[in-house]
Amino acid sequence: MLRFIIRRLLVTIPTILVVISITWVLIKLAPGNFYSGEKKLPPAIEKNIRDKYGLDKPWYQQYGRTMWNILRHADFGTSLKYEGQSVNTIIARSLPVSASVGILAYILALIVGIAAGSIAALKQNSRWDYSSMALAMLGISVPNFVLGPILVLVFSLTLYWLPPSRWGGFPSRNLILPVLTLSAVYMAYIARLTRAGMLEVLRSDYIRTARAKGLSERDVVVRHALRGGLMPVISYTGPALAFLLTGTVVVERIFALPGLGNYFIQASLNRDEPLIIGIVAFIAITLLLMNLLVDIAYAFLDPRVRY
Amino acid sequence: MRVRNWKRLGALLSVATLAIANLSCGISAKNEVFFGKTIPPERNILRYVTGDEPETLDPPMSTGQPEARIYMAIYEGLVEYHPKNLRPIPALAERWDINNDSSEFTFHLRHNGRWSNGDPIDANDFVYSFRRALSPELASRNAYLGAYIKYAEAYTARAVFVRDPATGQFLLARDFQDDPVPEPLSSKPLAASSEYRATAEEPNADPDSAFHQLMHTPTRLTLPGDQKARTKLLDKNPKLKAAATGKEFVTVKAEDIGVEALDKYVLRISLVQPAPFFSGLLAHQVFRLVPRKVIEQYGDRWTEPEHIVTCGPFKVKTWRPYDKLVVERDPMYWDAATVKLDEIHFYPMSDNPAIMNLYKVGEVDAVLNHTVPNAWLDVVRNKKDYMDAVEAAIDYLQINVTKPPMNDVRVRKAFNFAIDKNAWAQWRRIVKPLTAFTPEGIFQGYPQPKGDQFDPDRARQLLAEAGFPVVKRADGSYSCPSFPVSEVEYIYNTQESNKAMAEWMQAQWKQNLGITVSLRNMEWRTFLNARAKLEYKGFSRGAWSADYMDPFTFLSLFYTGGESGTGWLDPKYLAMVDEANRMLDPQQRYALLAKAEKYMLDAQPVIPIDTSAVNWVKKPYVKEMYPNPGGLFPWKYVYIERDQSKWDFGTPSLAE
Repeated sequence: MLRFIIRRLLVTIPTILVVISITWVLIKLAPGNFYSGEKKLPPAIEKNIRDKYGLDKPWYQQYGRTMWNILRHADFGTSLKYEGQSVNTIIARSLPVSASVGILAYILALIVGIAAGSIAALKQNSRWDYSSMALAMLGISVPNFVLGPILVLVFSLTLYWLPPSRWGGFPSRNLILPVLTLSAVYMAYIARLTRAGMLEVLRSDYIRTARAKGLSERDVVVRHALRGGLMPVISYTGPALAFLLTGTVVVERIFALPGLGNYFIQASLNRDEPLIIGIVAFIAITLLLMNLLVDIAYAFLDPRVRY
Repeated sequence: MRVRNWKRLGALLSVATLAIANLSCGISAKNEVFFGKTIPPERNILRYVTGDEPETLDPPMSTGQPEARIYMAIYEGLVEYHPKNLRPIPALAERWDINNDSSEFTFHLRHNGRWSNGDPIDANDFVYSFRRALSPELASRNAYLGAYIKYAEAYTARAVFVRDPATGQFLLARDFQDDPVPEPLSSKPLAASSEYRATAEEPNADPDSAFHQLMHTPTRLTLPGDQKARTKLLDKNPKLKAAATGKEFVTVKAEDIGVEALDKYVLRISLVQPAPFFSGLLAHQVFRLVPRKVIEQYGDRWTEPEHIVTCGPFKVKTWRPYDKLVVERDPMYWDAATVKLDEIHFYPMSDNPAIMNLYKVGEVDAVLNHTVPNAWLDVVRNKKDYMDAVEAAIDYLQINVTKPPMNDVRVRKAFNFAIDKNAWAQWRRIVKPLTAFTPEGIFQGYPQPKGDQFDPDRARQLLAEAGFPVVKRADGSYSCPSFPVSEVEYIYNTQESNKAMAEWMQAQWKQNLGITVSLRNMEWRTFLNARAKLEYKGFSRGAWSADYMDPFTFLSLFYTGGESGTGWLDPKYLAMVDEANRMLDPQQRYALLAKAEKYMLDAQPVIPIDTSAVNWVKKPYVKEMYPNPGGLFPWKYVYIERDQSKWDFGTPSLAE
């Protein structure tokens, strides 16, 4: 097990470097630059800017410097757009915002999704099954940029119950609408996956064995069926957690949250090279770690999986 | 049957969603006087949405309006914008003298100016701030605004003087000009023509220092500092090459630019040319005061809340980027008694519906310009908190004049004649139709020229003259089969309002000329790149808002070429503008500028469309905040009015 983890972690490093290099190339290929505006700059001023940020140096020097700073100092540099703010600081500051919304949405999605999915599977073809699956279908098909504004319209603009947007710290009432908006689709997927997984497991031999042993229905469901039935959910929620943690562009924009997703989209639109690379690298690392966690979780949940 | 039912339900759902989204501003606001809640905040705090996330709190480093508004709270310059008309009013300078050809400005600073840490402010702080803002190392994008200051442009461009090592004499610019321009700097004594009176006794500073004499010697020749560029230039000009051979090149230094502290409280600025509008320019962020000690101690990190030292009516309390910047009243500020608000909370937001929602529920008290979405206008425009006023900004189309068929002025004119701008303004509801290149009704006393009005017959005639006859079909529509439609397109940056404008123009040309111009939307930076490099054919969307309150801020777009993104650069136009700016009489200058504008309009490198509207909302209890044409507010006058009888009902008047 330990050897497996170490081996996986070692593979992570070259993967990240490749991701960073591809990102770097893509940024260089993108037309435009971070300093352009409605009025074209006089050439002398443009040259000052290019000199200041070393943009006229040969590409291998620019690439080399970027990689060296990342490898040697774990330093992604300073944002080009936000003068004087280091990329590491920006990530450290915006991650908690994205993560608090993300984790809450994740927990909510897991609780509601698994509960609804299990009930649907246990009472297959009942009213419970149909209504929860219909809701799940709705959750999957209504995109969050529609759901968010509707929730705002109802709970903020009409009922004046909840603030329509902005960050209010953790915990605060401002979190409720973004968390609901964000978790809806995950909740729906988890419910469907749980239902499907459970239905399959409930028909398998070892459940029949468990029942034949005379175990109570509760024990059968919680100790045996749920463990097996959740396998598909686990493999889905690992990467899902990575995306939830690192912020979602749409929800952060609708609710004006100062999270990582908001920065990411702005950085790309601004051609803010160091910030883009920093955030891409961070997301990649998180994603790889989450996948590793999923593999470890498999080993615990499924007695057949051994590393 | 079942399937059909489901389908119908789906359709119903989507219609319902759309209806809800459209009504979102209407539901509870239908019969109310104001848009949303009007409960003043408990404390004297103004909560304001200023637009995009501020790039930095270092004033010369940002070009945007969102930042400009923040800088007006925490930094001050020699002058400040008037809350109604944006003309310069005294700030850290309590008065100023202008010499008789408007090429030299002497500012008398107030003696009680203080930094937020209590240190006194004097003229040397300004000398430092100006030199820093214009330095090539800082690489400020705004540095071009300082080019009126003598040798500033050369300093920013790292240019060199040419000195004879034997005599120590510098080569002079006038000896190498074919048509030497008269030296603008008047060495005549300064005419004391101040509007404002001194508050303290001032010792008489030496009015004619050695530096001052230097500023009044004929302008020195400057050459590019970069060796390659210099060699190229010298190779082209044999006379210059001969004169420069054997000479030494001396880099233009910060100390060479025309900014001088005469004594502790007198600052003199010498310009390269007469610029009657220069004092108005000095309220711009690039000329605001920055703290030398803190910058030298912390470098790049000086703007962090724990280090920053400011000089405006407010100082930074907390800053959480992408969330909130809180500034609080600064007791050290020289005019702290006037400051009425305890705090201002600046919210960085750029999603218009989200901003309007926040405004409606009463979580913010005022929002930035251009915030009311088009679809909401019908409701919001009739509310008493809607700000209805013109803006010093225009929308226009740029034409790439370097590629056929648009290199033919007749074709360009035809496309202009074919657009009914009055109909456009009616459809857009809040803008004013525009035929000239300067915004209408902004610059008082400026005899704005009239461009061509809508005239589709004339448009078709011009196209025919250019070799593209327009034929009328049996059904009354037009077609222009010989026009190379593949050579013309309309590019714009992706945004709902730009798309609407593009489609509207497309329809006009289709209807009146029978030409279908294809539309192409681009991501913002890609668009800027294509436009600046003239990598487009036909038309591109353009918009410009004033940097300062003078028509020249618009006319200068065609002054240095390339900047305009059209490829149109006419020496005659440059000469006309130069001549105008040399005029001492403001009215004469305006007349000549208007002549130049007319000349440019006749060449039609652009198609003017409209003068923008400010289009924002503020709660009625927010007072002394005016919808001025620049969207900039001197915050120290703004206050929260709790007495409902004194609230603003409707747009507050801009008349003084």
